[in-house]
Amino acid sequence: MNDFSSSEVIDLDIPDSEAWNDFALAQGWSDGMPLVMPTEAAVARFTAAARGDNQTFAPISPRQVVPTLASLAANAVMAGCKPEYFPVVLAALRGVLSPEYNLHGTLATTHPCAPMIMVSGPLRQALDINCGSNCFGQGWRANATIGRALELILLNVGGARPGVMDRSTQGSPAKFSFCFGENEEVSPWAPYHVRRGFAATDSVVTVMSGEAPHNINDHGSTTAEGVLTTICESIAQPGSNLIYGKGPYVLVLGPEHAETLHRDGWTIEALREEVFRRARVHISRVSKENRESYASTGRHPDGDWYPMSPTVEDIHIVVAGGPGKHSAYIPSFGGTAVCSVRVALPA
Amino acid sequence: MRIINPSFGVMPAGSEVLASGAVDWLKDPIVLFSNSKPNARELLDGLKAKLATIRGIDNIGYAQKNSASQAAPAETLAEVAQSYRIALLALAD
Repeated sequence: MNDFSSSEVIDLDIPDSEAWNDFALAQGWSDGMPLVMPTEAAVARFTAAARGDNQTFAPISPRQVVPTLASLAANAVMAGCKPEYFPVVLAALRGVLSPEYNLHGTLATTHPCAPMIMVSGPLRQALDINCGSNCFGQGWRANATIGRALELILLNVGGARPGVMDRSTQGSPAKFSFCFGENEEVSPWAPYHVRRGFAATDSVVTVMSGEAPHNINDHGSTTAEGVLTTICESIAQPGSNLIYGKGPYVLVLGPEHAETLHRDGWTIEALREEVFRRARVHISRVSKENRESYASTGRHPDGDWYPMSPTVEDIHIVVAGGPGKHSAYIPSFGGTAVCSVRVALPA
Repeated sequence: MRIINPSFGVMPAGSEVLASGAVDWLKDPIVLFSNSKPNARELLDGLKAKLATIRGIDNIGYAQKNSASQAAPAETLAEVAQSYRIALLALAD
């Protein structure tokens, strides 16, 4: 491995893509999958696409260096992005650099958290970001490469090397890429970014340091009460970081569950209150040692129950996915925040 | 072939490392700093017991972060820097 840390441009004698990938892997630049070569010409196309975003970036943890637009673009090129995805990648980066996101803690932890990226607004369709069937899965270039680009930036500029500064005990498939779109077209409620105060015409990236999605299967319930029972009991897990980390989580309702809840009169605000009240772990499900450990750091149950979020406002509800009776729960790292950033596009 | 270095970044202004001078491990004040994870205190207590076999421990103190998942507050770090010459960190988990 050579030390290129002080060189923004590197001259390479690389005969083919196989040799390039061997080289990149040896430098520690790879997530293990093949990378596109970040040539000067390719990077220039990406930086040109980011002309609407001309603010400087904060240092990236844990290495604490300030990136250049070119070094960020190089990672987006390597991830396989199209140039027009780059403003979304930059908005996601700005989100994770928000102080309340606690990037250093989320990267250095043993917890298997990864930056969840959710895109709301018109860019979802313009960039073909999957919001429907299999939205957390494979098959869409935008979903796969936008999330991958952010991960590569955190690896290469931030220095979050697995087993070195990224201390995750087991890691997560979400650490390869974790990007999806909100399915605004089938949601019975206002889009998430509008509920957070953005204009409907804005495109907004929301990030949270989260686990990979946990499935919530409920094929049998035909009422909101039934669906809510399954959702709340699925969220209430004693092994979750949230039981003592006390942070936010995202509930991603599948369109069919959302429709049942809406049909029976539930608003987003009422759902958040209800989930906050019911998604709790009884003390009988928590070991004596853990209860003592939580108490030693000031974490006490509310009566006989441990709540899964500090406040109602820490519960974020969106609609995504396609047909089927499934929803998903995305618990956060705990000591983090859900941060939304408007995508800055060229005028 | 010329490529752009994907790991390139520049050090932020004001991040220069300041020399603190030599320390005297047998006399200088030491802070035993916990990352607030379970067993950190036990590690630090063990360290203090070891230090007691080679030096006085009157000027050895403890400090910890407010939360295991958050960075130590700036005021905690300033207070530690003001009061001690050596910091030993316990990274328990």
